[in-house]
Amino acid sequence: MSKKHDTPLLDELEKGPFPSFVTEMKMAAKHSDMSNDLLGHTELCYKERVTHWKHGGIVGVRGYGGGVIGRYSDIPDKFPGVAHFHTVRVNCPSGFYYTSAALKEMCDLWDQYGSGMTNVHGSTGDLVFLGTKTEHLEPFFAEISSRGWDLGGSGSALRTPSCCLGKSRCEWANIDTMAITNDITQHYQDEMHRPAFPYKFKFKIAGCPVDCIASIARADMSIIGTWKGPIRINQDEVQNYAKKMNIQAEIIDMCPTGCMAFDGKSMKIDNANCNRCMHCIAKMTKALRPGTEQGATLLLGSKAPIVTGALMSWVIVPFIKMEPPYEEFYDLIDKIWEWWDEHGKNRERIGELIERLSFPRFLKDVGLDPHPAMVKEPRRDPFFFWDESDIEK
Amino acid sequence: MEKEEVKKIIYELVEASTGKKKLKQSDILKKVSADHGIEKDEVKAALRDLVDAGTLIFTYFGGSFIEIPPK
Amino acid sequence: MSLPDRQTDIGPPHYSKFLPPVIAKNYGKWLYHEVLSAGTMVHVSESGEKVYTVRAATPRLLSTDRIREFCAIAEKHCGGHLRFTSRNNVEFMVDAESKVAPLVKELNDKKYMVGGIGPRISNVVHTQGWVHCHSAATDASGLVKAIMDDVHEYFTDKELPNKVRIAVACCVNMCGAVHCSDIALVGVHKTPPRIDDNNVKNFCEVPSTISSCPTSAISPDPAKKSVKIKLEKCMYCGNCYSVCPAMPIADAKNDGIAIVVGGKVSNLRSDPTFSKLVVPWIPNNPPRWPEVTDAVQKILKAYVAGAKKHERVGEWIDRIGWEGFFRETGFEFKYQHIDDFTFARETFRMAATFKWS
Ligand code: HEM
Ligand code: HEM
Ligand code: HEM
Ligand code: HEM
Ligand code: SF4
Ligand code: SF4
Ligand code: SF4
Ligand code: SF4
Repeated sequence: MSKKHDTPLLDELEKGPFPSFVTEMKMAAKHSDMSNDLLGHTELCYKERVTHWKHGGIVGVRGYGGGVIGRYSDIPDKFPGVAHFHTVRVNCPSGFYYTSAALKEMCDLWDQYGSGMTNVHGSTGDLVFLGTKTEHLEPFFAEISSRGWDLGGSGSALRTPSCCLGKSRCEWANIDTMAITNDITQHYQDEMHRPAFPYKFKFKIAGCPVDCIASIARADMSIIGTWKGPIRINQDEVQNYAKKMNIQAEIIDMCPTGCMAFDGKSMKIDNANCNRCMHCIAKMTKALRPGTEQGATLLLGSKAPIVTGALMSWVIVPFIKMEPPYEEFYDLIDKIWEWWDEHGKNRERIGELIERLSFPRFLKDVGLDPHPAMVKEPRRDPFFFWDESDIEK
Repeated sequence: MEKEEVKKIIYELVEASTGKKKLKQSDILKKVSADHGIEKDEVKAALRDLVDAGTLIFTYFGGSFIEIPPK
Repeated sequence: MSLPDRQTDIGPPHYSKFLPPVIAKNYGKWLYHEVLSAGTMVHVSESGEKVYTVRAATPRLLSTDRIREFCAIAEKHCGGHLRFTSRNNVEFMVDAESKVAPLVKELNDKKYMVGGIGPRISNVVHTQGWVHCHSAATDASGLVKAIMDDVHEYFTDKELPNKVRIAVACCVNMCGAVHCSDIALVGVHKTPPRIDDNNVKNFCEVPSTISSCPTSAISPDPAKKSVKIKLEKCMYCGNCYSVCPAMPIADAKNDGIAIVVGGKVSNLRSDPTFSKLVVPWIPNNPPRWPEVTDAVQKILKAYVAGAKKHERVGEWIDRIGWEGFFRETGFEFKYQHIDDFTFARETFRMAATFKWS
């Protein structure tokens, strides 16, 4: 396609060393009228300093309640190419690995049915295909699903679970994040495609407390790999590190629990007092490794600050083995969702519901025992409640 | 109960609340199962038929709901 | 032209189809890794095999032709395998050290920015903005571009005391973990939605518009068959506009950018923490937002000068205190900095110990 719009403001953003999204739009505009108009549309937003998009709440593919987000321009007459500009979320493979053959096939389909613009990846983790018309949704879906791809979640449903790359390339992974993510995704296809929850629900799975997938800040349930028992120490490698770093200052003094000691010869860790913060392991990768009794900590509830203030996920199960077929895990999830379905209001996240009805009540209702790992400190006030069964008659 | 009958009940429920209150999938499962003494899974299967056929659709303006498609 | 039969509920392809052979063979057997340079690292397996990873930045918003170019590079150097990171970088992996230099050379020749590993600034997690979202108070991709151009040396070369994670969200919906970043920019509206009574009547469902408001600021206006907003309750979140297009909130003169700092998501040393407000509002000044890039540089400079090795931005601020942070950066402390939301009281200083700023 020939150039349709002048874009003096956006052109400024093609200068400089960092790769430019404007260059990407221009590349797509070479063979897409939609992307050509997207350039002009974006230039106008830059000029006026306001957005020109409208929300849509209906379009999708037959039988599914999610995976497609309707999007319309509020100035379709000026930019007919983006009058409809719907987003398609395609479920990513766990760990974000691809072959060129698979990606090229998807690119060819997207050039045929869409604008040629993508997000790799959306912040939930989907392969996001940006910009298509309503009539292209069904054909695009038929093409990709017949090749083994499916849509991700949107709306009041399970969202596309995502994970760090875990055991595939990281020595700190305590759980097989990619296998778990794939299993959860396949196990809950119905919950993902046919919204049945009060609001969205996200799983994010990290192999260790470094949490490279930011699960604790943006998943309703964070599954974070952890271990029990002693950190494995290779004393010879400790000696090698002693030659190139100041172990006392950089490791021992920075251990948040003060549980490490180094006498110049060997390193000692008081494992009972280690809180598994990963600092020493991350800084002495050859010398230290997580312990061998491995599993996960489950945390629940991160959500936005709107109304009552932001939450990060907090501990609900200190330790759980995460091995196939994950029965104990799925039983717990089913109970949590049932409780949420019974008590939750429209657009109430699980974390907000627990705040409204109380954490102790949640624990009782889903059958979890209280544990000091669940709180930073016990309550300060004496205003607590008792059950009937606690009262002497 | 016959599936066709459940489908009819669901459709009528959605029709009756159109323009008044938007129903979520879970509202429909709870109400139909309570009113007619049938398992939620049965209601869910009937609802899925209706959605697969395009008789009812999911919408997502301010939450996800089950509605009758616009003409 | 006939279409293939659609399938449903099959889920994504299994990841095992996509793993490079050296990754598949050593899955779960990695012993340790070393960062070799700003853009390369090596992981060593129990078996002695090694995988070398080369990382380069992408703008996340990618054209299909760009993806094809990545594919061509992967085919030439990596047997057709590649992956992406959670921070929108692309990674190419090879199984021998001799294959690293040609790969890096090709990436450099094609003007890709190789880097982002180690105690540096990695790519920016960001949202849709004016490119694709209706609630945006600013653009995301443009801000990211302006900032990364400005700090690119910290991606490709220079080290910092520790990693600095930057994030951009174009409105307070914050589609991403913006609130837990070392430095985050958030698009903010300063004015409530404007109600077009006629259009509300015609296009909006009043009950769902009312229930969309998180602070219950919206009530019916029966006389006009429309709604009204209790101004003192509105927090300019734009949720109502998502539900009712007759309540636009965008306001070119008053939309702008807030900066929050000191958050992190990892558990390393200290607990994950939320970012806190340091600049409540900077006007939108596209296409390059110079006032924003200046403020980011100011924060980085103070951090580099003041932090000890391995301290993240938040850990450094914990040590010197927020009063120390305002002293070191010279940012003005305003009424907006003092919390009046749910957790406000916990943030008041209930002690007589503080540092002079
Ligand atoms: C009330 C309104 C909204 C809320 C509360 C919200 C919240 C979020 C959050 C928290 C995420 C990130 C989740 C994660 O990191 O895993 C997200 C992702 C996303 N949001 Fe929103 N959002 C809202 C509206 C919108 C709108 C209006 C748009 C579109 C224009 C949008 C587009 C996206 C996209 C494209 C993603 C990434 C999706 C993916 O990775 O699959 N959001 N949203
Ligand atoms: C002006 C202030 C802020 C507003 C209006 C805001 C709004 C939002 C919204 C609307 C969402 C998506 C909500 C949802 O999915 O239900 C979100 C996500 C989130 N926000 Fe923010 N945010 C703000 C600041 C913060 C701050 C300061 C923090 C932390 C201190 C925070 C933490 C979170 C978390 C943890 C999520 C969850 C991500 C997810 O759901 O995937 N937010 N925020
Ligand atoms: C039902 C609950 C409580 C009762 C009946 C109670 C009763 C009392 C009484 C009778 C005094 C002595 C007053 C005086 O000497 O003039 C006192 C002092 C005090 N109480 Fe409580 N109290 C309760 C709960 C609490 C709680 C929950 C806290 C703190 C979290 C608290 C903090 C204090 C403090 C700080 C003092 C002053 C101690 C001092 O003089 O150093 N009280 N309380
Ligand atoms: C030197 C050893 C390290 C290696 C090899 C490493 C590797 C990685 C990789 C591959 C990712 C992308 C993950 C994905 O996309 O699946 C990542 C992300 C991340 N890394 Fe590391 N990492 C290392 C050390 C650290 C350290 C020391 C920290 C914290 C201080 C850290 C914090 C993070 C975080 C928070 C993310 C998530 C990205 C985000 O913030 O969104 N990493 N890391
Ligand atoms: S979260 Fe832990 S296991 Fe996963 S990639 Fe990061 S450091 Fe490795
Ligand atoms: S993991 Fe953290 S708490 Fe445990 S020994 Fe290492 S530095 Fe100390
Ligand atoms: S942060 Fe706000 S403006 Fe940006 S994509 Fe998300 S909802 Fe849209
Ligand atoms: S902008 Fe947000 S707070 Fe203000 S009226 Fe709309 S929904 Fe309510």
